[in-house]
Amino acid sequence: MEVETVLKILTLLIGFYMAWNIGANDVSNAMGTSVGSGALTLRRAVILAAILEFSGAYFVGANVSETVQHGLIDTSLFVSQPLVLILGMCGALFGTGIWLQIASYFGWPVSTTHAIVGAIIGFGWAIGGVDAVRWSEIGTIVSSWIISPLIAGVISFIIFSILQKKILFALDPSEATRKLLPYLVFIVLATFTLSLLFNGLKNLHLVLSFHKALLIAFLVGGLGFVIAHFLVRRRILFPELSPIPPSRHLPQTVISLEKAMKHLQRVHVASFDQTHEKVGKLLNEVQELSLTLKKETSFVERTSEYRSVEKMFIFLQILSACFVAFAHGANDVANAIGPVSAVLDIIDQGVLTQASPVPTWLLAFGGIGIVVGLATWGWRVIETVGKKITELTPTRGFSAEFGAATTILIASKLGLPISTTHCLVGAVLGVGLARGMRAINLNMIRDIILSWVITIPASAIVSIIAFYILKAIFIR
Amino acid sequence: MINIARLFGKSPFAPLQNHMQKVALCMKKLSALFESLHKMDADKIEKLVTDLSQLEHEADLTKNDIRNHLPKSLFLPIDRAHFLEILSIQDSIADEAEAVGILLTLRPLEEFDNFHAGILALYEKNAEAFLSAKKIIEEIDELLESSFGGIEAEKVKAMVEQTAFMEHEADKMKRKFMKNLFAKGDSLSVPAFYLWAKLAENIGAISHISERLANRIRMILELK
Repeated sequence: MEVETVLKILTLLIGFYMAWNIGANDVSNAMGTSVGSGALTLRRAVILAAILEFSGAYFVGANVSETVQHGLIDTSLFVSQPLVLILGMCGALFGTGIWLQIASYFGWPVSTTHAIVGAIIGFGWAIGGVDAVRWSEIGTIVSSWIISPLIAGVISFIIFSILQKKILFALDPSEATRKLLPYLVFIVLATFTLSLLFNGLKNLHLVLSFHKALLIAFLVGGLGFVIAHFLVRRRILFPELSPIPPSRHLPQTVISLEKAMKHLQRVHVASFDQTHEKVGKLLNEVQELSLTLKKETSFVERTSEYRSVEKMFIFLQILSACFVAFAHGANDVANAIGPVSAVLDIIDQGVLTQASPVPTWLLAFGGIGIVVGLATWGWRVIETVGKKITELTPTRGFSAEFGAATTILIASKLGLPISTTHCLVGAVLGVGLARGMRAINLNMIRDIILSWVITIPASAIVSIIAFYILKAIFIR
Repeated sequence: MINIARLFGKSPFAPLQNHMQKVALCMKKLSALFESLHKMDADKIEKLVTDLSQLEHEADLTKNDIRNHLPKSLFLPIDRAHFLEILSIQDSIADEAEAVGILLTLRPLEEFDNFHAGILALYEKNAEAFLSAKKIIEEIDELLESSFGGIEAEKVKAMVEQTAFMEHEADKMKRKFMKNLFAKGDSLSVPAFYLWAKLAENIGAISHISERLANRIRMILELK
């Protein structure tokens, strides 16, 4: 067999392994919440995740893959020695694979994205010198690693704050949910469509101006709005949630009275003589009235409302989980097939140009790898993760996932390889800052920073070693 | 691999409620003691109070356990200091219950019939205030669900007011008892008089602390 064929098969195998790894470990982040909250059965979650991860990888995966393929190092330096570049990319792949194995053996928190970027920088620097690495591009990517969790956190914070103001703090939460639900569907669908389409879809040869994308987003969101509105209003969805048993007075009335009391008290304290006496009398009367009203108002039964709110949000949580799965497929498939496509390109054409696109079949190949990982091992991880994060109830899960997914999808479209887990962590922290979570382990932030500091040099070193071993085998 | 599940720490709110259950057990023991105080001999009282001390100790252990497992790195929806204060106020109710129990073992109560009804009524009112505060702690789950606002917060606020009202009633009861004690106390020996007064003091503290606990909870609410 020729050297090229051996390398081709080897690269494809290791690329598949990487995709498998992503499917096995990382998909759980997207689907864990829905399984944990009982919104989806494990089986359905796996099927949904498989479809969405694959389509994410297939339709949007090219952007980030191209960045990994030829955006990180200056491939023109290697024109005279294509085999070195081939072995380097292979080394990066092997190195990342080995490093991920070591890390997961010891239970270290490591991001695949950081590992692959670190590995490619490592071999580029070691072989081509400092100038071989496109530092400006790396700078953009590294800053996106810092910014993306922040953005995800901010979006989630805002979304959860809206839910708080409009639903959780409402006097009639389930009615408020009914009202807000169609708008939320609109926001989710419109954001999703817009971030999917804003600079076209290369694989479908779809070129769209921003205006057109915006228009389509509005149409899709509007359609969702109308459907959701119809279903919710007609009580086709959630019919079992009957209106609250009527109490004689609305809770609003009681609260208004209390406000009146507060103001009267202020006047009472500030005034003297006759006014003081008069206000005192008034105050007493209002107080009595308020007490009687309170007795006749049913505050107590109303607390079960939050449960019905969560029930209604299950639907949105599934939607946002799908959104995450899609975005994840779009961003992370690059970690597996970016280097593979570089190797295949050089072998087939002899050079790796800036323009060489990632072949569609390779994206599908990566997508299949992810799906296989999900089917063989990932479902188990989804189950375990789901059991651990039951705290992320549908309202919280929706807020966090929406923030994370939007960020990831936009980064994918911009061709930035980011860590989906870090985005999700940022998003959950955002919800936590809005007092939405019971207990968040802030050690995770330390873990993330550690994973940065350790992973990049470590995978760089491992990939350099892998390169030299490969070189010793193939170049005599 | 980083797993999102690592982000979720162990929530200290369930242990807090668990601790409240332990405190409630202490109070239950004390109630049993008061209910049959008139027909018990010193040995029986001694035994019950030993049980009470044991329960108080268990509550202490739970409290320390919660404190030990509340690392700085845990981010809670309420201030950490607030949480610890709620815990410590809650625990002091158990301490107070134990103190009352111990007073009962010191020596047989003189002129029992004169003051029995009064002290019993006083105790019952205080126990009521405690139960009302306990109910508030039991609402924490719902509060977390609503992130401390909305109708749930309104409901808890009403409960806090209820507790404060009971504390007020208990105070009135104590005043009545003390008046009675001072009116009829001439015939009592100094230690006996002191014991009755001290007993009233410590029982009254139960409703005070309960009210303080309730108000502490009120401070974490997000009311409009």
